[in-house]
Amino acid sequence: MDSNEPMLLLSSRIGQIGDLGLDLLWRFLHIVVSLFHIVSGIFEAIQSYAISLGLIQKYSSIDIEKLRCLAVVLDIEVARDVAKVVELLQWLKTIGVKQVGLFDSQGLLKKSKDMILEMVPGSMLLQETGEKDISPDRKEGIVIEFISSSDNKEAVVKAANILLQRQLKTSHPEKDEGDNVFTESHLNEALRVVGENVHVPDLMLVYGPVRSHLGFPAWRLRYTEIVHMGSLKYMRYGSLLKAIHKFTGVRQNYGKSFSPLTWI
Amino acid sequence: MPCLFVSWRLRVPLSITNIRRFIKTAASQCNDKEESGTTGEKEKGGRMPKHVAIILDGNRRWAEKRGLGPSQGQEAGARTVMENVKDYFSMGINTVSLFAFSTENWGRPGDEVKYIMDMFEKIVKSEMPNLRRYGVKVSVIGKRTNIPEPLLHLIGEAEEATKNNKEKQLIVALDYSGKFDILQACKSLAEMAKNGLINVEDIDENLMDKELMTSCSEFPNPDLLIRTSGEQRISNFYLWQSAYTELYFPSVLWPDFGGAEYFEALDWYQKRQRRFGLRV
Repeated sequence: MDSNEPMLLLSSRIGQIGDLGLDLLWRFLHIVVSLFHIVSGIFEAIQSYAISLGLIQKYSSIDIEKLRCLAVVLDIEVARDVAKVVELLQWLKTIGVKQVGLFDSQGLLKKSKDMILEMVPGSMLLQETGEKDISPDRKEGIVIEFISSSDNKEAVVKAANILLQRQLKTSHPEKDEGDNVFTESHLNEALRVVGENVHVPDLMLVYGPVRSHLGFPAWRLRYTEIVHMGSLKYMRYGSLLKAIHKFTGVRQNYGKSFSPLTWI
Repeated sequence: MPCLFVSWRLRVPLSITNIRRFIKTAASQCNDKEESGTTGEKEKGGRMPKHVAIILDGNRRWAEKRGLGPSQGQEAGARTVMENVKDYFSMGINTVSLFAFSTENWGRPGDEVKYIMDMFEKIVKSEMPNLRRYGVKVSVIGKRTNIPEPLLHLIGEAEEATKNNKEKQLIVALDYSGKFDILQACKSLAEMAKNGLINVEDIDENLMDKELMTSCSEFPNPDLLIRTSGEQRISNFYLWQSAYTELYFPSVLWPDFGGAEYFEALDWYQKRQRRFGLRV
């Protein structure tokens, strides 16, 4: 037993030295990767400014007609910064976006909607426009919709109740007409009755620390592109332009196959 | 030499993916000792998702990149599931959902759809013994009206054979549509109200939650949703359930999404600050 003790001690010392070495290696790698992230962050910032100044040709012209409806989801912390929200809307108007749905889960922006509409020249509330006003030919201004969590599940439940009432009042209750009443188009109609917009946003920009849609109306999310933009406080015009430009290049198959390849 | 030493000391196989993972973990490692710890400690700290949902996207593009046919892409995708399914439940994850086939996918060419359905049959037959051995409960959600009879029969058998497994659940979304899920929940509540089981005024979000197809799980709302291939949308998957789900969109194509990429997603999730719409 005694003869084993020096060996055990040696082994333990080697282990400790090894652990120290690994720790140093770990920290060194940490520094290297952190530097990499810093450099790439600086590069992104430079690129964003170059885009803002119009120096990068491909971002100078964007096919904005592809973006019929944009959703902006704001974490409740960032939604309190109304000045930044107004600045974002002004940028979107400059880019040519015609319709924006502003969402925060608690409805803070809904409470500030009058102030926001006043501070963004040429803006109007979605509810005050007709469908015909939101058209590609509409040159000026931006239509804004204010959305919160109450427009999500609560609205669907209200719409479901409308459909249920309709089913209960049907003239032939003995027939199972459930399938005729509970269709997508019926639920769309019921949501409109409840006062909800059913337009599906083409693109959703998420501002805040979380990468989630935070309860944006589920019924409207089917094929929406979701892009996380980071902090609203440090938002950049170039990054916004880049995100919208990238969206205009996206091709959606909607679950089907359009590949010219022969199926083997 | 340093890599060999690291490999020996950490008892992990020396490979590019493990080194890459090591580097990424090093970059994000917090110095606070409370944040580090063993897998069990992290699990106890509640920072692992309970439900992970995955949209398996990119099979055809994977095949195109290699000059292969679409069927080979689908096969490669299926192999990825079979090779990694047991790893999905590591680190305390209870529920894993796989978006295998959407209602919109019926719009694909008929022979492609038939091939996919035949492939599902083969997978269920070959993987059932493994899933039973791992103690995984299998649940298949979706419409089922257009699914071929032999496959339906196999699904029924798989669900029956694994129904008593509690700790792990694999939900396979087949012919699934998030909108249809909401509609069928509404219809189900309507039936209950018509039969006097509930009052119309009692219908609320909680009742809706219970009628969705994901009510088969103890954790119906995914904490993390992964969509491979770089596409950044949820494509009609778990529309209702994903209100506060963290969305992770790696650019890797599904057949290349192995264990290392999965753990990277979990690592990413651990660093998120989840607020569930509330103020911190």
